[in-house]
Amino acid sequence: MDQPRTDEDQPLVARAQSGDAAAFDELVIKYSPRLYGLIYNMTSNHEDTNDMLQDVFAKAYRAIKGFRGKSSFYTWIHTIAVNMTLNFLKKRGRRYHLSLDDVDASIQNDKEFIEVTSTSSPVREADLTELQRRLNESMMKLSEEHRAVVTMFHIQGMPHAEISKILGVSEGTVRSRLFYANRQLQNYLDEFRKNPVG
Amino acid sequence: MDHFDDNEIGKLLRLKRYEQPPPGYFENFLHEFHRRQRDELLRQPIWSVMWQRLSDSLFRLNIPSLTSMPAAAAAVLVCALVVALKVYYPSPSSSIATVPPPVVSPHESILDQMSTERVGDNHFTLRSPLSSRSLGPDLSRQVNESAYTHRASTPPRYVLDRLPVSYEPSFNF
Repeated sequence: MDQPRTDEDQPLVARAQSGDAAAFDELVIKYSPRLYGLIYNMTSNHEDTNDMLQDVFAKAYRAIKGFRGKSSFYTWIHTIAVNMTLNFLKKRGRRYHLSLDDVDASIQNDKEFIEVTSTSSPVREADLTELQRRLNESMMKLSEEHRAVVTMFHIQGMPHAEISKILGVSEGTVRSRLFYANRQLQNYLDEFRKNPVG
Repeated sequence: MDHFDDNEIGKLLRLKRYEQPPPGYFENFLHEFHRRQRDELLRQPIWSVMWQRLSDSLFRLNIPSLTSMPAAAAAVLVCALVVALKVYYPSPSSSIATVPPPVVSPHESILDQMSTERVGDNHFTLRSPLSSRSLGPDLSRQVNESAYTHRASTPPRYVLDRLPVSYEPSFNF
């Protein structure tokens, strides 16, 4: 994925720290799609994601003067987003409803989508919305911490090392959570295989 | 296929990248962000806004680089005070300079001169100071002798009217 090896955002961050609002706007524009995906796949709700993303950037705006560059801005803003979302999910508890975003039409051209729908009969038989709903339901059955790891690794394509920095845990813990979450998802999706249309 | 393996689960989950918010969402997101920032600003008490702006302006001044400023300001104040004192309290009048220096015989010591000047004021004299009265004659003699050793044969040189006694050129600041 597109993790910066060096902090390429440093010039923008420095300008934002000196009060340049336009520089912070550029950071918002750059990171909002990616952070939206992160939060959405943890909450499975568009409205919650929108509010949470606004809060994340508002908090980052207030805190950016205290950002000392010990990590990259990429890691820093992702850490804020993950921590705020985890806190939100803990407060929300099990009270949620799925609010599915539109599936981009370009998925039909995706190599992996073609492969999955051609080889897996349950996926082939289900329509896209049903597949989306099943995946999101399976994700929501995971604990918040496991869901965060799955989202960052499988969906956002982050390496283990980056995830460990964002979550503040060891890489071993990340791998362990990922292994457990995959087993859980396997069980939930096997039910989908047995009963494809729900 | 009996069940989804890790690879297939990964592929399925990666398809979730295609789940996107409504069209135009990200274009409006920044406007919504600005609107919320303004609303939040309006909800804050005025002192909080003022404090934030003050801290912002101080941050822009780069305070750590200005830590020597108080010391520099104090130094400037001290210099100004010294100059002001020089202006309002001039040096002693030149009448002092008109008093001729006492004529001293070559063999008269400084202690002798000073003791004769002070003898009328009170009972204290440098010829027989209190500290030396109780001393034995040996110590008293040593004091007098040591006085002779310090340029006893030459008249004392005083700086009068801020002019150096010597005619070497003085430095003007």
